[in-house]
Amino acid sequence: MIKITDLQKYYRTEEVETIALNKLSIEVKEGEFVAIMGPSGCGKSTLLNILGLLDDPDGGSYLFNSIEVADFNERKRADLRKHNIGFVFQSFNLIDELTVFENVELPLIYTGVPASERVGRVEKVLDKMQIMHRRNHYPQQLSGGQQQRVAVARAVVNNPKLILADEPTGNLDSSNGNEVMELLTDLNEQGTTIIMVTHSEHDARYSHRIIRLLDGQTVMENIMI
Amino acid sequence: MLKNYIKIAWRNIVNKKLYSAINIIGLTVGLAVGLLILLWVQDETSYDKFNTKVDRIYKVNASIGTGASKQVWGGTPAPVAFHAAKEVPGVEAAVRVVGDMDYSKFRYKDKLLRRTATMKFVDDAFFTVFDYKLLKGDPKKPFPTDQSIILSVTEAKKYFGDTDPMGKVLRGDDKDPYTVSGVMADMPANSSIQADYLFSINVRKKQYNGKGMWKAMDEDWGDYWADTYLLLKANASPIAIADKLTRIHMSLQKGIKPTDGVFQLQPLADIHLYNPDLTSAGAEIVKIFSIVALLILLIACINYVNLSTARSVLRSKEVSVRKIIGAERKHLFFQFVFETALCFLIALVLAFGIIYAIMPLYNHIANKEMHFDLFSTSVWKVIGITTIITLAASSIYPAILLSSFKPIDALRSRASGVGSGNFRKVLVVCQFAFSIGLIIGTLVINRQLHYIQTTQVGYDRDHVFTVNLYNNMYPHQDAVKAELLRHREITGVAVGDNIVNGDSSTGDTDWDGKPATASMVIHPFSIDQDFIKVFKVKLIAGSNFTGEKSDTSHYILNETAIKEAGIKNPIGKRFKLWQRNGIIIGVVKDFHFASLKQVIEPAIFSYAEKSGQLFVKTTGKNAAAAINLVKQYHVQYNHGDPPFEYNFLDDDFNNLYKTEQSTSMLFSIFAGIAIFISCLGLFGLATYTAQVKVKEIGIRKVLGASVLNITTMLSKDFLLLIVISLLIASPIAWYAMDKWLESYVYRISVNWITIALAGVGAILIALITISFQSIKAALANPVKSLRSE
Repeated sequence: MIKITDLQKYYRTEEVETIALNKLSIEVKEGEFVAIMGPSGCGKSTLLNILGLLDDPDGGSYLFNSIEVADFNERKRADLRKHNIGFVFQSFNLIDELTVFENVELPLIYTGVPASERVGRVEKVLDKMQIMHRRNHYPQQLSGGQQQRVAVARAVVNNPKLILADEPTGNLDSSNGNEVMELLTDLNEQGTTIIMVTHSEHDARYSHRIIRLLDGQTVMENIMI
Repeated sequence: MLKNYIKIAWRNIVNKKLYSAINIIGLTVGLAVGLLILLWVQDETSYDKFNTKVDRIYKVNASIGTGASKQVWGGTPAPVAFHAAKEVPGVEAAVRVVGDMDYSKFRYKDKLLRRTATMKFVDDAFFTVFDYKLLKGDPKKPFPTDQSIILSVTEAKKYFGDTDPMGKVLRGDDKDPYTVSGVMADMPANSSIQADYLFSINVRKKQYNGKGMWKAMDEDWGDYWADTYLLLKANASPIAIADKLTRIHMSLQKGIKPTDGVFQLQPLADIHLYNPDLTSAGAEIVKIFSIVALLILLIACINYVNLSTARSVLRSKEVSVRKIIGAERKHLFFQFVFETALCFLIALVLAFGIIYAIMPLYNHIANKEMHFDLFSTSVWKVIGITTIITLAASSIYPAILLSSFKPIDALRSRASGVGSGNFRKVLVVCQFAFSIGLIIGTLVINRQLHYIQTTQVGYDRDHVFTVNLYNNMYPHQDAVKAELLRHREITGVAVGDNIVNGDSSTGDTDWDGKPATASMVIHPFSIDQDFIKVFKVKLIAGSNFTGEKSDTSHYILNETAIKEAGIKNPIGKRFKLWQRNGIIIGVVKDFHFASLKQVIEPAIFSYAEKSGQLFVKTTGKNAAAAINLVKQYHVQYNHGDPPFEYNFLDDDFNNLYKTEQSTSMLFSIFAGIAIFISCLGLFGLATYTAQVKVKEIGIRKVLGASVLNITTMLSKDFLLLIVISLLIASPIAWYAMDKWLESYVYRISVNWITIALAGVGAILIALITISFQSIKAALANPVKSLRSE
């Protein structure tokens, strides 16, 4: 599903050039659950952003479903993103002015799903995430765990092929963190490919494979049994 | 999608109450004031345009003399229309509209009403050339007989109530019968011609029949008293027609100089805003007010843009999330445009409320009768254009800025630099430059007005009031004067023409040694022997009138008349005014008998033993007693008909500057509003700055900074912007106001004190605005702010 080859990314200031990704090559197959680990500054979030088409690489190739997307323009990227990729962030990133229902509904609005169909789809996913009873609440009225459930619901409502999760349990206690990891595992079992950046060995154990990065390069890959 | 836009826009307005209030109040006030000014501009520029043939209707103006001594009048001799209609091929019709009638009251059966409205004599073509609506009667033949009268609906109602006025007879001054042959709709307020009673021009023609000292009306080329309007045929050349009329004049008036009585045509649509000599008669003010409206709307828009972009960093997370989950740039662009539109809609509704509420006061100040009618297409034209332009100006930049965030940058909090800083500073500078410009304008206008009203005009009008003597008191004026002078409250009594506004003039003059090519238009004043003393007009040569019979052939001229006529040693020299030869017995120092906008022109005093107007100078201590005394005589002679009326010359004098006074007042209000809206924006920005610098303030306080240090840190950048605004606005405003002052012959000059006052004022106001937020931020507990970080 995803194949990156010799991917490079630099961050430049006036005086310093930092290499975030140094000719990195990775392949992720459809249906895989991959965890990316490594110390702070090793390039894992940069990799996730490039995979999510939120950032441009400075070199190398990125094939998404065998299509070269590294040189896609903003419009094409947005189009590919909204139909294929769902995001889950450490800090949830819900829109404070929208209710739970409206937050989850938003991706469907942008993909042009008719209003009549939207209600059913949102309710279904809220039900699945067990937060239906909070549908009319605003994010600030929810606990961290509940907010992350809403974020996961929003990420999956469009049935994306790929979910990118950036430290999804980083802001949660262990109990809520485990619940979120169970949710992601369920989604993966239903066929969704998941790439997750994490610092937590515990969370990484939910994945099929761990890719360990250091200074923008792969230093080790662990297959989980 | 739209529902989502509305929802989020509304929640943003409700959740961010302070910012929303600042934005909406700024927009509301800006829109209300901008719309009010533009309604005024629309009213001023709409004069006479209700006439469907306005493009083909011209007023004939006449000029006398050449070069610097050239004078252009709006009146023409009566034969112009007569010959234009008969002999000039490009003229489809000609209409004269002439002077007032003498009747002071009209009677219908037992109902006797004093006339308060205007009367005019017009030609038959009046209703076919102009679009004044004749509700009853025949527009092609409005006056079946010379004794016909046409009334406006309002006047007709006064006499006849709801009954049909047609065919009923009104008696002018209880004697002359006039049969109602038509009822017309009241003339629109934006009509240059105003009348409620119309008579046939033939009535005037009969009075002016050539049997007295004047020639017959259609043969008298010497009297410029008729307003003449021509309806030209399509494609006719106004210049060629004016030339043809001048040629007719030259051929029919023997001995006239080729430079006297030259005609020009002025488009009807221009006569409200331009004088006959094409100088501005209000066009300048219309331009200035249009600019003021634009500036106020711009200031309001800048407020919105500044606050929206300043807050953009707070919206960057939302924008990023939307982009990540699939929003395209156009979705976000329209979302933010929609938010602005919603703010505008709320502001517009509130602005309508304000406009409705203050319209009566606004009309009072502007001396107009404007209506804010939401069912009027012309009102919606103003609203539509104003709203669309200001909405576009306010929404597009913030929408582009907000929708342009790179999602990953925003999520990493790197968006704070986007669109911030310099552009907002430029806008604040523009905003305050506009406001300071308006403050300078206000100060200059007020100073000029004060100068006009307090400058020595060459005569003493203090504590002088005037009353009309009317027919019954007129023959007894000597006795009345003598009686009045016996009272201590009264220091002088005179009769004559009003010295404050010498609006009549004549070119019918001759004098010893007059060169063949010379002509002089002079302002005549009929006065008695006490007039010069009462008004303390300074006699610089010769003597005053004595009241003897011989004074009827004596003249007293002002310095300018003597100078323009080129008379050396004038005392005892011959001077002829109209048909009367006399000698110059005195010369008075120049005095202002018109607005200080005009240069002092030639003036002449002729003796009149009796006059219709009485001037009474009081001590000023007990003016009421003096007025009561005059009233007693009025009652004694006129028996309360008409009711007693008086007015002080100071009021007459102030009336000369009524337009300037209302302009000045409106300008002051607009400048105040401009600075208010600017400060509202500054307040918002200061609040925002204090919010984003909360951590810095906390650290500085922990390190020992005082409240003064913090306040200075937060205020100095803003104050620097105000100083830059002052530097930009001062020379521009100086230049603009200097240009404006050029329209006054007697004027102040713009000086550094005015600029400094405006600058200090703006800085103080800005400082007060900023200080509130700065001090609040400086007083906050640093522990809280650091913990929140």
